[in-house]
Order: sequence, then structure tokens, then C-alpha cells
Amino acid sequence: MKNRLKVLRAERDWSQAELAERLEVSRQSVNAIETGKFDPSLPLAFKVARLFGLRIEEVFLEDSDQ
Amino acid sequence: MGCSTGNQAVRRFRYRCFASAALVIVFAFVAAASFRLLHPHGVVAYLVAILPALPILWALVAVGQYLREEVDEFQRALHVEYLLWGIGGTLGVTTVWGYLEDFVQVRRLDLVYIYPIFWLFVALAMPVVRRRYR
Repeated sequence: MKNRLKVLRAERDWSQAELAERLEVSRQSVNAIETGKFDPSLPLAFKVARLFGLRIEEVFLEDSDQ
Repeated sequence: MGCSTGNQAVRRFRYRCFASAALVIVFAFVAAASFRLLHPHGVVAYLVAILPALPILWALVAVGQYLREEVDEFQRALHVEYLLWGIGGTLGVTTVWGYLEDFVQVRRLDLVYIYPIFWLFVALAMPVVRRRYR
């Protein structure tokens, strides 16, 4: 699953570590999600979306949306 | 299991593992000394014999506790993957070894080695799995 995490993070000038701290996960988790190697659970995806003040589908994109 | 995060679940898991390892050593010594000096019989002999296995069972429970307590789902997924590698590796090695014992009479594999073999495969899996997510 693709996502806009890197762009959204860059817009706020947050490092992966800062985002990880806000999400209460490890930096490795943020990296794995950002690079599309790990799909977060629905609760974590909602948490990410809420953190950026967006809807979940504005952060995470289905592969067919590309 | 090797953990890069220093959260509470990891710290608790490490404590339980170290305590379990220490108890294995102590209980193994106690069991060996008991059989050498006291020559227990019957049910007592069985109980003393399984004494060193009890902390190992506790360590397995600790793994389950860690997976339940770990709040970082990615770390949890990584650790589940390590464990699957450990299970797969152990099943593979012991199956192959079993047939070797049957047909070419290689040295008999003592069952007490299965537990360390499992953790050996878990340890080997860690860098391999982590590299995939780098």
C-alpha cells in the first residue's frame, strides 16, 4: 500500500524519529510504513491520519489509485 | 530476542529472559546434584528431572507476554517473523537429522538441544529479516 507519509512529514519538517515519537512507535516502524514495506493496522493508520489532520484515504492510497 | 526499541515491553522481556536463563543454570545444578547425592526415586525423581525445564517454559511464556505487551505493531510483526524462522529452522533441522539417524546412524540428537537450536535460528533470522525492512 502506497502512502504520502514522507511528503506530509517533509511539509511539517519532521524527522522520522519525531513522527515516531508522536505516533508512539519506533523509528523503524515509521521507516517501514513510509517505504511501503509494512502496512499499518487500521487503528495505526487512523492515528497517522488524525495526526496530520487528514482523512485516512488522503494519507494511504490503494495500489490501484496510483 | 534482539530489540532495537527500549520500550517497557522489551525491558520486561529482557528481564524475564535473563531471570529464566539464570534459573536454568541454578535448577540444572540442583537437579544434577540431587541425582548424584540424594538419588531420588519415583515421582520425586520426575519432578527433580524436569526442574531445569521449568524456567525454559517460563521463557516461552515470556515470549507470548512480550508479543501481547509490545505496543509497536511493526516490532511485534518482526518478532513474530523471527519466531516463525526459528520454528521452521528447528523443524527442518530436526526432521533431516531424524532421517539421518534412521538411515545412516548419525549421532543421536539429544532433545535438550532443540530449544537452543530454535533460538539459534531466531538469532540468525534477525539480521535477515531486519535487512528486508531497512
